[in-house]
Amino acid sequence: MTSRSLIAALASAALVVSPATAPAQSGGGSLPMPPPPTAGAKAKPGASTPAPGAKPATGTPAATTPGARPAEAGAPAAGAEGTAATAPATDKKPEAAAEAPPPVPQKVDPGVFDQALKDYFDGKPRAAAGPLYAWLQAAPKTDDNYAWAQYFLARSLIDLGLTHAGASYLARIARERSNPNVIPRALDTLKDLTDRPHDDVMIDEQVFGALDLGFLPEETGAYAHYQQGLVDLRVGNERWANTHFAKLSETSAEASHAKFALLVTRLKQVKEPSDELIADFLSLSKDEKLTREARNEAALAVARLRYERQDYTGALEAYNLVKLPELDPGRASLYLEEAWTRYKLGEPRASLGILTTLDAPSFRDEFLPDKYLLRALIYRDLCHYLPAKRAAKELTRRFADSLEAVRNRDDLAQDIRLRRAANSHGGTQRASRFVETLDLEGERLGRYAGSFGDRLFTHLTKLYDLSRAEAVRVYDARLAEAVRQEADTLLRAAEQVRLMEYEVGLKLYERVKKGAKLVAPEDEQLLTPDSVAFRFDGEYWNDELKSYRVSIESRCIEETP
Amino acid sequence: MRYALLILLFLAPGLARAQAEALENPGAVSAIQERQYRMNHELYLGVGVLPADAFYKGLTGSVSYTYHFSDTFAWQVGRGTYSYNIQTSLRRQLERDFDVAPTASAFEDQVQWMVGSDLVWSPLYGKTAVLNSSVLHFEAFLLGGGTVVKIDRQDGFRPAINLGLGVRMFSGKTLSFRLDVTNNVVFAGASRIINVPVVQLGTAFNFGATE
Repeated sequence: MTSRSLIAALASAALVVSPATAPAQSGGGSLPMPPPPTAGAKAKPGASTPAPGAKPATGTPAATTPGARPAEAGAPAAGAEGTAATAPATDKKPEAAAEAPPPVPQKVDPGVFDQALKDYFDGKPRAAAGPLYAWLQAAPKTDDNYAWAQYFLARSLIDLGLTHAGASYLARIARERSNPNVIPRALDTLKDLTDRPHDDVMIDEQVFGALDLGFLPEETGAYAHYQQGLVDLRVGNERWANTHFAKLSETSAEASHAKFALLVTRLKQVKEPSDELIADFLSLSKDEKLTREARNEAALAVARLRYERQDYTGALEAYNLVKLPELDPGRASLYLEEAWTRYKLGEPRASLGILTTLDAPSFRDEFLPDKYLLRALIYRDLCHYLPAKRAAKELTRRFADSLEAVRNRDDLAQDIRLRRAANSHGGTQRASRFVETLDLEGERLGRYAGSFGDRLFTHLTKLYDLSRAEAVRVYDARLAEAVRQEADTLLRAAEQVRLMEYEVGLKLYERVKKGAKLVAPEDEQLLTPDSVAFRFDGEYWNDELKSYRVSIESRCIEETP
Repeated sequence: MRYALLILLFLAPGLARAQAEALENPGAVSAIQERQYRMNHELYLGVGVLPADAFYKGLTGSVSYTYHFSDTFAWQVGRGTYSYNIQTSLRRQLERDFDVAPTASAFEDQVQWMVGSDLVWSPLYGKTAVLNSSVLHFEAFLLGGGTVVKIDRQDGFRPAINLGLGVRMFSGKTLSFRLDVTNNVVFAGASRIINVPVVQLGTAFNFGATE
């Protein structure tokens, strides 16, 4: 069933799963905010910075709630003059200038920043984004508010559902490091974005993977250490990774994730996994600091390792450690693995029951060639040769197009089944989701064409076009490799099924010796006094998916000497 | 003989089809689960009505204790019901317009309280999907037993037979909700029987059930 390489591949998929979302940084509230915009600011162009003596607002972590003002002190004064008039969205001249190559930065009234900030805190990110961009275009990078403007532009874009554009500005803040007060906030926001499909090169590698960690608050620093350790692990440098992981607090979620990553890496390296390794995975599967998904991954790793060691009872125990939310259908691969385990344990009826689960609508599109093979094996073992042959044929029938594509050496990425299978897990899934996100956000961007103004709109359109092109390139590369692996899996299953068909064909026409008797039926007790049975009539209930059992008699004939 | 052959001829395709189906899809599939909700010591608090009598309507409050021997069989060891009676407009009209004495025997049949004990049989246990987003488990039961009814007259204790049915919706391991519809057949006199139907809704607390 699952070779070690498969275990390693599956486990490594978990390696790159981002850790749980940590609660918002506790110390965030004490970070200084941008200097308050001065009332009726009429500062000279180019000197948009508020008075040097302006106190940074303290207290409310404004960035966490768009509608909230940073503090009374930080509230831009009402009536900032001239801002509306100079807003680039309504300015015809800047529009024309934006079209002319190369774009000449337009002079923007410094009050624009104040007004945009006010708009942002008034819950109008759409109104804030255009002016902030215009201000950024005009202001020198050395301006005190430059990083803040980038930050609030990013927040505005994220609030508008343009997360990738927002992330690109946050990444810029992290790379340029022009204002140390902004960086922790930008990193926190970036960290939150890593829970969604994101540009992992830009965020995980170029930001968190390359940060100078000295100045970071503890929590963000921990995440960065974890990411940098992961980068080191990926390139095969465990010692360096350990240097980063050693700096994580033992009680932090990142430490648990780091331990999981280390175990997965070690698993790839060793030929025969030790008891200690399995015990470590087992302890992680019960580690409450990890997300449920990560705990389940650890439990699955234990189950797979025990299966490989032919400890099927232990494997089954580990599968039972996998906890799913109520009424969650679960993962098809998990069911299939459990079915194999039960088959190996000599529980063909339970195994057949789990295969019934895999026919549920939730798993109809899953790519599980093994399912047909296992079903055929069980029927064969119970001497139901006709159903065994039918189950074996079902694989070649169902995957006829894909098998044909492999034989004809077609472009496998164009095969819908293989493509779907490749997209369902690992790096290809992440890349595919990121492309989908970019497409969605690209469409969303079109809705803001009017309110953003030409300059920001053109800039973002270009940003999304470039990012999409790169994301598609990455996706195509991963897809090509992934479909090849899926095709390999399919071919292996098809080959075994052909053997099975041949074997069953022989059995089907075997002569029964005179006086042969049916094997005595096994004493199977499906229903205990504590249990309740619901007869299955084709209607799947999510709460029953793990409970199907098949009552089937063996038709085998006793071998007579 | 000819008819027998004819019947056999008609049955043959059906039998052959069933056999082919069994050959192609052998075995029967069932979802076998541990029973999620099991009752043990049950304390019940409920409210209800005595809706049937034309001269009064009773608002009842009940308390009972039930011991469950198994998932299907239980003994409602004791139950007590007090009825707060509200006279109907019919009775008021009879008294006002027709001078019917309040001591008329029909008026004296109103139930003041009753106590009793029942055996409970729960043959049905099932589940239902609620808005396709959650699963609700329930059981339905029949109950039967004896009651002592105190009716509104001196020396007013009367024996009764209680028969009814109910349904229980499980909310958790320790909490469930019961709807009981029962009828007490009260032997009010030597040759007089009165029916006292009771509709009750209540909360049942379950103690000591194993996980």
